[in-house]
Amino acid sequence: MKSYLSLQVNGRQRDDAVSGNLLLVDYLREVVGLTGTKIGCDGGECGLCTVLIDGKAQHSCLTLAATCNGKSVETIESLGDGGRLSAIQRGFHEKLGAQCGFCTPGMVMAAEGLLRENPEPDEETIRTEMASNICRCTGYVKIIEAVQFAVEELKSKKEAA
Amino acid sequence: MENMPEFTLHRPDTAEEAAKLKASDDSSRYLAGGTDMIVNVRRGIEAPETMIDLTAIGEITQIAVDGDGLRIGAGVKLADLCVHADIVAKYPAIAQAAASVAGPTHRSYGTIGGNLCLDTRCLFYNQSQWWRESNNFCLKHKGEVCHVAPGGKRCFAAFSGDVAPALMVYGAEVDLVGPGGERTIPLPDLYRNDGMDHLTLEKDELLVSIRLPAPPAGSLSAYEKSRIRGSIDFPLAGCAVLLTSDGGQLSELQIALTAVNPFPQMVKGTDDFVGKPLDDEALDAIRDIVRTQAKPMRTTTVRPWYRRRVVGALARKLVMRLASV
Amino acid sequence: MDGNGTPPSPVKSIGVPLPMVDGPEKISGRAQYTSDFYDPSALAGAIKRSTVAHARILNVDTSAAEALHGVHAVITGSETDEGHGVLPISRTELPIAHDKVRYRGEPVAAVAADSIEIAIKACGLIKVEYDELPAYFTAEEALSEDAIDLHDHREGNIERHVEFEIGDPDEGFAEADLVHETEYHCAEVCQVQTEPHAAYAEYDGERDELTVRASTQVPYYVHLMLSKILKMPKSKIRVIKPYIGGGFGCRTEALNVEMITAMLARRAKGTVRTVISREDTFITHRGRQEQTVKIRMGMAKDGRVTAVDCKTIQRGGAHSGYGIVTILYAGSMLFAIYDLHHVRYDGKRVLTNTPPCGAFRGHGTVNTRHAFENAMDEMAEKLGLDPFEVRRINLIKELGFTASDQWINSYGLPECLDVVERASGWRDRIGNLPPGKGLGLGCSHYISGASKPVNWTGEPHATINLKLDFDGSVVILTGASEIGQGSNTILVQCVAEVLGIDPSRVKVVDADSRVTPKDNGSYSSRVTYMVGNAAIEAANNLKGVLMEAAARKFEVSPEDVECLGEVYRAGTQDEGMTFEEVVMAALEGTGTITVKGNFDTLPESWGGKKYRGAAIGGTMAFSYAAQVVEVTVDPNTAEITVDKVWVAHDCGKALNPLTVEGQIQGSVWMGMGQALTEETAYHDGLLISGNMLDYRVPTFVDSPPIETHIVESNDPHGPFGAKEAGEASLAGFLPALTSAVANAMGVRVHELPVTPDRLLQLLEDKEREMRAATAAE
Repeated sequence: MKSYLSLQVNGRQRDDAVSGNLLLVDYLREVVGLTGTKIGCDGGECGLCTVLIDGKAQHSCLTLAATCNGKSVETIESLGDGGRLSAIQRGFHEKLGAQCGFCTPGMVMAAEGLLRENPEPDEETIRTEMASNICRCTGYVKIIEAVQFAVEELKSKKEAA
Repeated sequence: MENMPEFTLHRPDTAEEAAKLKASDDSSRYLAGGTDMIVNVRRGIEAPETMIDLTAIGEITQIAVDGDGLRIGAGVKLADLCVHADIVAKYPAIAQAAASVAGPTHRSYGTIGGNLCLDTRCLFYNQSQWWRESNNFCLKHKGEVCHVAPGGKRCFAAFSGDVAPALMVYGAEVDLVGPGGERTIPLPDLYRNDGMDHLTLEKDELLVSIRLPAPPAGSLSAYEKSRIRGSIDFPLAGCAVLLTSDGGQLSELQIALTAVNPFPQMVKGTDDFVGKPLDDEALDAIRDIVRTQAKPMRTTTVRPWYRRRVVGALARKLVMRLASV
Repeated sequence: MDGNGTPPSPVKSIGVPLPMVDGPEKISGRAQYTSDFYDPSALAGAIKRSTVAHARILNVDTSAAEALHGVHAVITGSETDEGHGVLPISRTELPIAHDKVRYRGEPVAAVAADSIEIAIKACGLIKVEYDELPAYFTAEEALSEDAIDLHDHREGNIERHVEFEIGDPDEGFAEADLVHETEYHCAEVCQVQTEPHAAYAEYDGERDELTVRASTQVPYYVHLMLSKILKMPKSKIRVIKPYIGGGFGCRTEALNVEMITAMLARRAKGTVRTVISREDTFITHRGRQEQTVKIRMGMAKDGRVTAVDCKTIQRGGAHSGYGIVTILYAGSMLFAIYDLHHVRYDGKRVLTNTPPCGAFRGHGTVNTRHAFENAMDEMAEKLGLDPFEVRRINLIKELGFTASDQWINSYGLPECLDVVERASGWRDRIGNLPPGKGLGLGCSHYISGASKPVNWTGEPHATINLKLDFDGSVVILTGASEIGQGSNTILVQCVAEVLGIDPSRVKVVDADSRVTPKDNGSYSSRVTYMVGNAAIEAANNLKGVLMEAAARKFEVSPEDVECLGEVYRAGTQDEGMTFEEVVMAALEGTGTITVKGNFDTLPESWGGKKYRGAAIGGTMAFSYAAQVVEVTVDPNTAEITVDKVWVAHDCGKALNPLTVEGQIQGSVWMGMGQALTEETAYHDGLLISGNMLDYRVPTFVDSPPIETHIVESNDPHGPFGAKEAGEASLAGFLPALTSAVANAMGVRVHELPVTPDRLLQLLEDKEREMRAATAAE
C-alpha cells in the first residue's frame, strides 16, 4: 500500500507516492536520483547514509521514507557555496578529509549537523559527536583537521559579516 | 534498493490509537526511532505485516515536571534526554546512560521508550536470514536449539539497553496505555528473566512515559558501561549506582545492571552495606555480589568471563568514586 | 613575462601538498561509484550462498526460481567450467561452486530479476542438495592425518610449504649469547573498505559484447578472468573501474561478484546490477589470514641478532587466492629491514573450510613482523637493552644486496628511529611513566611494487599515454586504479612537474580498457613507483616534442630552447612563446599529439634464486617506518587507551606531503584496528562477525592523534626519489602496542587483538602468581 509523501528534499518540494517499507536511502537514491548518499552496511553500523532531517543527523538506511512526511531532508547534494564547495567541504578537500570518498557524504553531513548545533566544537566534541561515522582510510586525523578548518573559516566569515 | 519485507505502515497521532492498531494484528510492531527495529526487520528477525510508527504522537515527546519528580515521554530522543537540565542536575546516571547509547547519530533519533523496549540480543540471533538458516535458527526465533546453552530450553539473549538500569536506581515507574486504559508499574516489573520474551507488556499495550520520583536527598549517582569501542557498540556490561553516604558510611545504596542477563536487574543485598564502614573489604564485597548476580552467557564475541569480571569492577569503581573513598 | 621583466618560472608540483584532483567530485557526492549506476532496464542480481561448510553438491534445482514471475536468468555452477585465481598455476576457484562447496557462503547459484525482492525470493526457491563432508575450520584440523583434502590437487590441505635456509643458522645460534623462542597468534582480519562489492554488467546481444563496471583494484585482471570464465575474446569485453570506495587488498584479484554479474548479464541478455550486502562482502573476504608465528632468535649481548628460525602456519581459507604469494612474503620479508645473515624459514599455507584469505595491506609481512619485533623486545628486556639500541645495532650497514638477494638502494630506517625517539621524548620518559602508562616501539618495511609481475607477458611494468590537443590541456591516459590512495593526483603532479605547467592543466582519464593503456592494478604499492616513473618518461617525451616545435618556430636547435613551463624561449632576451602557442606549433602537420612512457624494473631487483619462489619479495625499493605508541591501561577493566602515536616513514621523497601523510596515518590506524579490536570470528565456519557491530572498526573516539613525520631518503630509481607510502607503517603498530602494554602492565599479550578480556586474564594470572610467590615466602 502506498502513501502520499510530501516533503522538502534539499529545499525543493517533492510529492511522491511511496510504499510504507521504502527506506529513505532508497527513496533518495532511486526515486529522487540523488546517489551522493551511500550505503556501507546492512543497517546503522557505519554512518555512510547520514542525512539531515529537520536539521539533525539521521541514518537514512534505518528511516522509512514515509515517516519524513512534512519534514525537510538535506543530503550532500544540497551543500555548496555559490557553485563552489561549502566551508566544510573545502575543509575536507584542502585537508584531505576524503581519501576514497565513499564515507565522505555521510561524514560531511554529520559535520554539517554538528556545526549547526555547535559552531565551535573542540577536538573532543568533534570526536564524540561524529562517532557514528566510520572511515576506513584516514584514521580520522585529517577529518578532524577538515572540520577544524571549517570552524575557522566559518568564524572568520561571521566576523567579516 | 535494499531488500525490505513488505508491511503496511500506520502513523497514528495518539497513543490510544497506536495501542488499538497494535491489538488488531498479532504480527504488528511499534516503530519509534527505528535504530534497532529496522535492523531486525531488514534481517528478517521481525516480519510484521503492520508497522505502527510512533513518531507522529506528539503527546509522548515531552519532559514535564511531575510533583517532586519528572515525567519523561517515551518518545523523547536520547540526545535530548542527556542534555536536559533537570536530568543532568538531578539524575546524572540517566544523562550518562543516555549519552552512552550507540553513537551520536543513533541518539539523535533513538528514543528512551525504544531503549527500554529494546529486544534482547545474542550472537546467534542478531544475524541475517541466511546466517540463521545455516545455523538451524535458534530457540528465540524459529528454531529448537539454544546455541548458547545447547540442551537447555531457556533463552539467554541479553537485554542490552543502557537507560533502564539508570532509571531503576531512582525507583522509576512506567505508564502503559492499552485498550483498557492506563496502568503504572515499577520499571523492574516491565521485565522478566526470559530472553525470548523479556517484556511483560501486553501485546496491545504501549509504553508512553516514565515517572521519576525526586532523587533521595543528598544522593549521588552514575552510570558506566564496558564495551570494546567507545562508540556505536552495545554494552558488554553496564552498571548504575545511586548512593548516599555520610562520613564514610553508606545510608543508601542501589545498584542496577544491564547486558549481563536477559533483563535489566536491581542488585539484591545492597542494603547489607548500609550503616557500615565503606572500606576495601566492603568495596570488594559489593564487587563480589554484583559478580554473583550477573550471569552473562556467550551471547557476544567477548567471553562471559570478562563481562562478569568487568561488571563487578565497574560497580566497585562507581561506588568508590561516588562515596569518595 | 611580468611587468618587471622577470620570466615566469616552471610551476613546482613535486613536494607540494596538492589536494586530490578528484576531491571536489567525492566531496560533493557527484563521484559515481559502481553502485551509483542505475538504469531503468537494469535487472537486480542476487547470489545464493551455501549454508554448509564442506559438501558435494548433488543437485541444484532451479525450476521454481525460473518459474517465478520477474526472473530473467538463473545460473549455477554449470555456467562455466573455467576457474579463476591469482597465479596461473592455481586458477581453480569457480565463480559459482559446481561439484563441491568449500566454505559457508560460497556462491551456489545466482539470479537476475526485475527487482532485488524477486531476485532474493528466487534464490530462496532454488533447492540445493548437499552431501556433507567433514569440515575443517582451523589449520590444525585441516592438517590432521585423517583430514580429507579440500582440493584434489593439494594433498594434505597444504597450499604451499615453503622452506629455506639462508646463511648458517646453526652457526648463528652458536654465536648467540641468548637464544629465545616465542610464539604469537594473530586473528584473521578483514579490510572492511567502506564500499560493499558491486558490479554492473551490460551485455550487447547484437555484438556479443560485454561492458563491466566493477569495484576492483585490478580492472585488467578482472578483464582477463572475465575472458577466461566467459570464454569470450578479450576484444569483446570492456572493463571500467568507476570511483572505488577503498580496497586495502581485498579487490586485488577478480572476485566472484563481477564474474557472476557478467554471466548473469549474458544469460539474461541485458544489464545486471549486483550490489552485495556488508555481510556478503565480509564473506567474499580476501582478508589477512589467521596465523601463528613461532620465532627462535639468537642474540649477542649487545643486541645483535645472530640467527633467526621462523616457523609459521597460515589458515588460508578454502581457495588458493594469493596464498602462495602470502606465505612466500612472510618469509622473504624477514629480510631487508635489519642486517640478517642466518635465517631458517618454514611456512605452511593451509586450506580450510573458511572464506578465502587474500592480500590485505602489508600483504604477507604484518604477522611475522609482529612476532619478530616482539621477540626482539622480549630479548632486549632479558639483556637489559633499550628497544632503540637493539634496533640500531641491527641496522643494515651498507646498501646493496641482502643475504637473500633483495636489493636495497635507499634506507631511511636509521633516521626514522631518530625522529620518533626524539618526538616521543622516549629517552626521558621510558621507565619514568606513571602506573598504567607505557611506551612501545615497532619498525616495519614494505616493497614499492613487486618487481616480477604475477602475469609475466614481457610487457613493461607500466605504461602511460599522454594526449595533447588544440585545447592545451595535457590528458593522462592511465590504466592505474585510483582507489582513494591518490594515484591520479600523483600522476598529475609527475607530469606537471616535468612540463613545469600548472597541475590544473593536466587531466586524467583512468581505468577504462577501451581507452587507457593496460595496467596491472593497484596492489603491492606499485603505482607511485612504477606508473609514476612511466608518467615521468611520457612527460619527458612530450616535452621533447614541444621543445622541437618551439625550436622550429624560434629557428634554433632544441637544445637552445628553454622551457619555463608556461613559456618557452630561445634566450634570456627572448619574449618567448606561450605554452598554448607551442602546442599549436607542435600540432602543425601532425595533429593531436600522443606520447608514451614506460617503466620496467631492473633485473637486479628480481629477488634472486636462493630458494623456490624467492622472486616474491624482490622490489626496486623498500620503504621503512618506525613508530612509538603510548598507551594507558585501566587496571580494573584492562581497557587500553592509545594516547598517541609518533610515526616516521621513509617514503624516499614525498611527492605530495598531504597524501603521503594521509597514507601513513591510515596505515598506522589500520594496524591499530588489527592490534586492538578487529577479528573475524566463526561459529562452525559461519562468520559470526559479518557486520560492522561485531567486527569492530575503530571509531573516532578510539583513534589517537598520530604525529606523522616524513623521512626522505631519495631513492635513486624512484620517481623524483619516491618510494611507497601506504603500507609500511601498518605492521609496526602491532608490536609497538603489545610492547607499550608490556611496558605499562608488565605482561605481554601473545594473542591479537589485545581485547580487554585477553589482557585482564593475563593481569589476573600475574596477580595470582605474585600472591602465590608472596605466600611462599
